[in-house]
Amino acid sequence: MRRIAISPPLAAVLLAILLFLLSGLLPNGFGSNVDIATAQATNILRLSVFLGVIAAGQTLVIMSGGEGIDLSAGAVVTLTAIITYSIVNGHNENVVPALLVVLVVGALVGLVNGMGVMFLKVAPLVMTLGMAGVVSGSILVLTQGSVRGSIAPIMTELIARPVFLGVPGAIIIWIIFGALMWLLLQRTTFGKNLFAIGTNRTTSRLSGVNVTGMVLGTYALAGMLAGLGGFLVVGNTGVVHIRIGDPFLFPSIAAVAVGGTLLSGGKGSYFGTMAGALVLTLITSLLTTMQMPESVRRIVLGATLLTMISVYGRQRGFRQ
Amino acid sequence: MPISLSAHNVVKRYGGVTALSDASLDIHSGEVLALIGANGSGKSTLSKIINGVVVLDGGQLLLDGKPVHFSSPQLAKNLGISTVFQEFSLVPQMSVAENIWLTREPLLRGPIVDQNATRRKTEELLALFAGMFKSKLTPDMPVAALPADEKQIIEILKAVSFNPRLLILDEATASLDSRQVQRLFELVTMWKQEGKAIVFVSHRMEEIFQVADRYSVLRNGKTVGDGFIKEVTTKALIDMMVQEAKVENVVQRDLPSAGSLEERKVRLEVKDLRAPSLNGVSFRLHEGELLGLGGLKGQGQHPLLIALFGDLPYSGTIVLDGLPVHFTHPSQAMKKGLALVPGERAREGLLLIRSILENFLVPSWREYGFPLRIGKARQKAEDMSTRLSLKMAGLDAPVSSLSGGNAQKVVIGKWLMRNPHLLILDDPTKGIDVRAKADFYQLLAQLCNGGKSVLLYSSDDEELIGLCDRVLVMHDGTIKSELIGGSLTRSNLVAASLGTSQEAEQ
Amino acid sequence: MRVFRPQDLVYRRSYSFALLLLVLAVVVNFILQPNFLEPTTLNNNMRVFLPLILVAAGQAVVILGGGIDISVGAILSIVNALLATQIGLDGNPGKAWLVMLLSLFVGIAAGAINGFFVAILRLQPIITTYATSFLFAGFALLILPNPGGGVPSLFTTFYRDTTLLGLPLAFYLIALVLLAWYGVRQTRYGRYLFAVGGKPEAAYETGVPVSMVQFSTYVISGLMSAFGGIAITLLTSSGNAQVGDAITLSSITAVVIGGTVLSGGTGGIGGAMMGAVILGLVHNIISFANVGTWWQTFVNAAVIVLALALPGILNLARRRRS
Repeated sequence: MRRIAISPPLAAVLLAILLFLLSGLLPNGFGSNVDIATAQATNILRLSVFLGVIAAGQTLVIMSGGEGIDLSAGAVVTLTAIITYSIVNGHNENVVPALLVVLVVGALVGLVNGMGVMFLKVAPLVMTLGMAGVVSGSILVLTQGSVRGSIAPIMTELIARPVFLGVPGAIIIWIIFGALMWLLLQRTTFGKNLFAIGTNRTTSRLSGVNVTGMVLGTYALAGMLAGLGGFLVVGNTGVVHIRIGDPFLFPSIAAVAVGGTLLSGGKGSYFGTMAGALVLTLITSLLTTMQMPESVRRIVLGATLLTMISVYGRQRGFRQ
Repeated sequence: MPISLSAHNVVKRYGGVTALSDASLDIHSGEVLALIGANGSGKSTLSKIINGVVVLDGGQLLLDGKPVHFSSPQLAKNLGISTVFQEFSLVPQMSVAENIWLTREPLLRGPIVDQNATRRKTEELLALFAGMFKSKLTPDMPVAALPADEKQIIEILKAVSFNPRLLILDEATASLDSRQVQRLFELVTMWKQEGKAIVFVSHRMEEIFQVADRYSVLRNGKTVGDGFIKEVTTKALIDMMVQEAKVENVVQRDLPSAGSLEERKVRLEVKDLRAPSLNGVSFRLHEGELLGLGGLKGQGQHPLLIALFGDLPYSGTIVLDGLPVHFTHPSQAMKKGLALVPGERAREGLLLIRSILENFLVPSWREYGFPLRIGKARQKAEDMSTRLSLKMAGLDAPVSSLSGGNAQKVVIGKWLMRNPHLLILDDPTKGIDVRAKADFYQLLAQLCNGGKSVLLYSSDDEELIGLCDRVLVMHDGTIKSELIGGSLTRSNLVAASLGTSQEAEQ
Repeated sequence: MRVFRPQDLVYRRSYSFALLLLVLAVVVNFILQPNFLEPTTLNNNMRVFLPLILVAAGQAVVILGGGIDISVGAILSIVNALLATQIGLDGNPGKAWLVMLLSLFVGIAAGAINGFFVAILRLQPIITTYATSFLFAGFALLILPNPGGGVPSLFTTFYRDTTLLGLPLAFYLIALVLLAWYGVRQTRYGRYLFAVGGKPEAAYETGVPVSMVQFSTYVISGLMSAFGGIAITLLTSSGNAQVGDAITLSSITAVVIGGTVLSGGTGGIGGAMMGAVILGLVHNIISFANVGTWWQTFVNAAVIVLALALPGILNLARRRRS
């Protein structure tokens, strides 16, 4: 009963290619024109970057086990996008301070999530959903209904425009980011301990891993990455609105699932999530090309996640 | 309705381990059969086979003379076989009455439960133990609010409420006090006269002699003797439980005499250690000593070991290499050269879905810098697996692909990679095969000869006797006796564990 | 007769805690809004609270049984969209009843889908119902892409103005649900529910049909969400496919405030309904207490997080003391 060995990340990449080819067959798809197809592919890749970065934090939290999940990611993206927008306010020299501020803000929100989960034993989904409300509330407090500011030219240059051989900056950023994530997960004690606590927290504790510190750190890091996501998103769009992060939340979880990361924790890879982000961005843009309404987008996304859980997420029965 | 149940030549294997190789048992209406055996002799497995919880791999089960196959515990229950479980089958949040009658609630009309009838029937059952409860026990009290002995009584009453033909009492007296035990025995006598058959599994000799009519002795999964209680002595029973033949596979070591032990440096000194279910434990462990920890299961051995390793808050003094220490997290104990091989391999010792490599390295990643020098780590893991002669497909295979013995080697290996000088082992050979055990004993002997200290709890008495320099026998959260040199014999160990005094008879 | 025992305090303490909060909220509300206890105000408040009360009751059943239902808000939205489009502002009452009945079946079907995945396929309840919530929200948007539609004023007037013996309609509906719950508690099923939520392994060993009980809790929750959807439609007389979004978390919070432990097995729907009322009152207090408009969402959300964290905080405090 040996199954054909195909790793989930590879399956996700193949699915992405298949979806891309499918989209070419659509009446208003790229058809057989190679130039348009290349441009289309580049654009899809570029759009995947934002989801990919936001889903990175989601990957870490889910990997840490204990039903870990971060539903505050969408709200944090919105908050940090708005903060970036108002701090930068058109000045190149404000970009770095803005980036630092949003990373800190994201990390703080994540830390609160982690403390609720670890110290107060609130279920992660409930805790982070509650924090999503608090963050949304603080956005209203901060903006009082109107957002003033703008992004700086250098952000557009680096994120949205081609910087090297026609490749947009965002994609290059993503490649570097992916390498760093690999380094974090595979070549640091933090990464190894993350897999350990996601697999079995008792074994980890009895092997000397500081489980509490790891969980707090993971949620904080996830918040920080959502903050980075917000920074990149606003750098790409150039405008901001108070729902800008919401559409990323559900796909970020689905991307992790599609990428083959075990939803119960302890196993997975960021490459899988990258491929998953690509698949979900493709699905979304495919639906947009087909002029499908928001309702169909949600149904398809919901069904995608449900399918992935059914494939990867069965629990043990009572019978021994 | 009378009952007779026979098990013939029952075989049961778990993976590569044989729990029962040739077990037999006969029980009829109106008698009490004592099922006796040392730790790990297969008593629990045999009682789980006759109540349908475990399916047998070989042999035959006859109910009222006809072959029978229990596809589920429910079926056995419907045929009149009821068990008092060692692990509690009660829902803590629910009341006493709700728990006892769950799924068999008396109905008023339609689906409505007759609360009064439930309460009345519960009170009738509780009356069987009237006066035996510390406080007034009513049918409406939540089970979680009861002390352990009263929970055990509710468990017994739940089994009795089925009005079974055959009642299995598996260590049912373990948490009861003597008055409660006496009442239970009066009831057992009464049920016997009513025509029920009772299987009584217990470690306590005096209880067996008081209540049982017949006995059946298990040793290493084999039935080695049966007969009438009236025709046997305690000593004869213990001799039957204990294997006369020389134990193989246990490494011969030069056992130090008591004098030479005392001359060595003290590595660990524990004074009046207290924690939940630890009532003041004191002992010393020397350099190069292999100190055994014995006794019946659940007498405080596990809490003692994890308290030493910083995983259980405690009061008392622990002195390590002359310096007082108080660990509050295992990582602190590790830094001082301690290592713990936990008892529940899958639940506490392994990261099942991760690779063998990562399992070897969980405690020591920090030593490999940033970025982690994976090559060096892999080399060390490779060396360790060679040293332990680990049979594996490769270091990247998931640890779940290993057999029990090899998986346990990984758990030990991950600590040996840190070169600890005090190894704490919690029943490390449970469920591993003979070959792996032999390797393991060899390894422990090497470590001790190299000056390391080992504290070993084992549920296998043969192991303690064949391997250890000294054995401390625990009972009820304290150290009951110390066996060393000439006094370290099987009979003494069994007698000390069972709470009878073997020396007195000799 | 049952006598009070100290251990009752341990196991039913959180329930009395909800009662305490309720009294406190009523008092504060009364101070801020002196006409709070007048029949009209009471009626106004209760009909606003009713949708959440109903949904929280269903959520409590799922949580009692050891699960959780993240899709309640989406189910409520589907029902709202269905009623608003299929009845319409000037639909005929006879057809309206039929559509309401249909919407109850939709709720049951949605619950059965959740139950199938969680109880039969044995998937993790949290992530599964989160996925179905997106699915259901999609269906709600499919039925009603843009806010609009409604129900004839006949119905809204009935919902708004009906009082019996001086008490608002909502009181009778709440009483009805509590009565039904009391009935369920008396049945074997009621016992099974607590057993499954308390210790599923023990329940299974004793012969309780664990999967069927779990399945049923999701169906009940779906049905209660549908009732909540009907109530909210009669309240607002309009359709909005996202009306249920905020309800999900509120319903879980209400359950927690009401003393039901998120791990299952203890509590009841009475506490959850009380919790829903408390949340509604807190909402009132916030809008009456001169909290700046822009602060209201934040304060509401903060209250919810605090309420969710409350059992944990009490636990920490208790451990520190001992």
